[in-house]
Amino acid sequence: MVSAMHLTLALNNREMVTQMDHDLLKITNLEVLYSVDDDLVRAVNSVSLKLQDKETLGLVGETGAGKTTLALSILGIVPNPPGKVVAGSVEYEGIDLLKLSDRQLRRYRGKEIAMIFQDPMTSLNPVLTVGDQISEVIRLHNKVSQSDASSQAKNMLELVGIQSSRYGDYPHEFSGGMKQRVIIAIALACNPKLLIADEPTTALDVTIQMQILDLMNKLKKERDSAMLLITHDLGVVAEVCDSVAIMYAGEIIEQGSLKDVFEGESHPYKLGLFNSLPDIDSDVERLESIPGIAPDPTKLPKGCKFHPRCKYCTEVCVSINPEFIERTFGHFIKCWHIQPPNRGNTV
Amino acid sequence: MSVLLEVNELKKYFPTASGMLHAVDKISFKVESGKTLGVVGESGCGKSTLGRVVLHLLSATSGQIVFDGEDISKPSSARLHELRRNMQMVFQDPFSSLNPRQSVSEIIGEPLLIYNVCKNKEEYRERVLELMETVGLAQRYENTYPHELDGGRRQRIGIGRALALNPKFVVCDEPVSALDVSIQAQILNLMQDLQEARGLTYIFITHNLSVVKHISDDIMVMYLGEMVEKSNTKELFATQLHPYAKALLSSIPRARLDVKRDHILLRGELSSPVEPGDVCRFAQRCNYRKEICTQNAPRLEEVLPGHFAACHRVREINGL
Repeated sequence: MVSAMHLTLALNNREMVTQMDHDLLKITNLEVLYSVDDDLVRAVNSVSLKLQDKETLGLVGETGAGKTTLALSILGIVPNPPGKVVAGSVEYEGIDLLKLSDRQLRRYRGKEIAMIFQDPMTSLNPVLTVGDQISEVIRLHNKVSQSDASSQAKNMLELVGIQSSRYGDYPHEFSGGMKQRVIIAIALACNPKLLIADEPTTALDVTIQMQILDLMNKLKKERDSAMLLITHDLGVVAEVCDSVAIMYAGEIIEQGSLKDVFEGESHPYKLGLFNSLPDIDSDVERLESIPGIAPDPTKLPKGCKFHPRCKYCTEVCVSINPEFIERTFGHFIKCWHIQPPNRGNTV
Repeated sequence: MSVLLEVNELKKYFPTASGMLHAVDKISFKVESGKTLGVVGESGCGKSTLGRVVLHLLSATSGQIVFDGEDISKPSSARLHELRRNMQMVFQDPFSSLNPRQSVSEIIGEPLLIYNVCKNKEEYRERVLELMETVGLAQRYENTYPHELDGGRRQRIGIGRALALNPKFVVCDEPVSALDVSIQAQILNLMQDLQEARGLTYIFITHNLSVVKHISDDIMVMYLGEMVEKSNTKELFATQLHPYAKALLSSIPRARLDVKRDHILLRGELSSPVEPGDVCRFAQRCNYRKEICTQNAPRLEEVLPGHFAACHRVREINGL
């Protein structure tokens, strides 16, 4: 019955079905708290997010915005204590991951959903060869012999641009960029449908960063994976993402396609972020910085979380947290005073 | 404009088990009073070592440093003590470059005590508060400790400390790279305001090309201890002569959709700075490499007026 309905829809409106039917990941009203001493840190506040098959979503925000916590909660690896997912759901292909036991979750981790961590220097095991670390994940999720696993691991090394003869080398024998390639090989070894990459190039130099972004773009296309890319760098987002969500103080304050977010209407915080960036394609005398600092997550302000730093703040902002409003199709903004598209010389 | 700092053939080698590590190799440049020289390059290219050698935080292996008309290549320790009043540094990491057991006012005021510049306690406190105001720290932070403050405020303390003795010259080593962009813009603006108000001369060391473009008058690009290209900022961003500078600039992720993205992907990674030999150090990764590049090292030459580059094939690949 349900599938018949979908079929009709599919015939009528393919795009509609893509919207409805192919949400690979659907996060609804997620809330994550950390209890530190006697304080409650509200790291993620009622966040909803959808990711479709093959989509690359950039999750952007500054230090402490809650990006990494959001990613960790997808895989059920928020450190507990002190962290705790207190509300919401994380549906992956229709199954709520938050309701699964650790044992059931292990089938997803590394196989369906893989993660690339920020720091390539510390996320490899220093006493295992890189080859063993790649074949470990293959053997964990597939019934294959050791020799099959190692030949697959060698293929993975070649795929990320490392000679397979380096299978037996240890992490310390690789440079930062090469280590990150190894980590990408581990993440992709089981052909995950969803890749979560937490600041994958932040620790790397720009020329190496470009090599890695290029590699990730290529592999993502070849393997049809979806990706959640966490970054603070809007430049990286412009290079690889299809859509963008911007986080501030544990909330998503704007979300939409790359074009919507880069060139459409704007949350004042996003406008501030863009104006704070020195741009190599234009000249400005002084950057327009955002005054103040991000709020203390144990004492989040009432109303809109950004209001103490916002130059458009009015009374309503102080008392009532705005709704997440769909301004144009698929472009959501959470603000009482949405700003017009800005294509001034500083953006 | 008068030249405040002149560096000639500066070298800094570190001995290692496998030979000499050429951290800074034969670098020469001048910085005019009140201007900013940006030094860009990737990790390990020797840019921080260069900044430290100029300030005598590390002693040079050879070469000449002339500051304000005086040769300070080999200063006596008494002279160095005096020189430090005029040459200061802002460090990269606002988390580890401040003493956690000193309060904000103690950190900012320490240089005043070392140089004994205040007549009495009242004058000292007045100077400290004045400095705090200059760098945008509210008086209420006077007795707080660095761990109570965020990165942006901590970097303001570091800047306040550097400016305490009214120096002429400040080496800024990645002062904003540990900060979020919204805070980074606040600090960059502060540094520009201070430069205008006090006529400061900066050497601004960074790996962030957008930042260096924003703040510098001249830019020097380093690769494995050597200067590969130098010119004024406008000219360099319009035309890059050296293949490394071309690749570096094309690799900047740009936060806009209306630009063409022609990335030049380099092969491989930085080679070793230990005993690099008489070759072009970039040759291994260069898309234009020819035999000559691995036979001898190219010299820095003025290819266009005021625009220097060190590459054997620079005229050929730029159609000059």
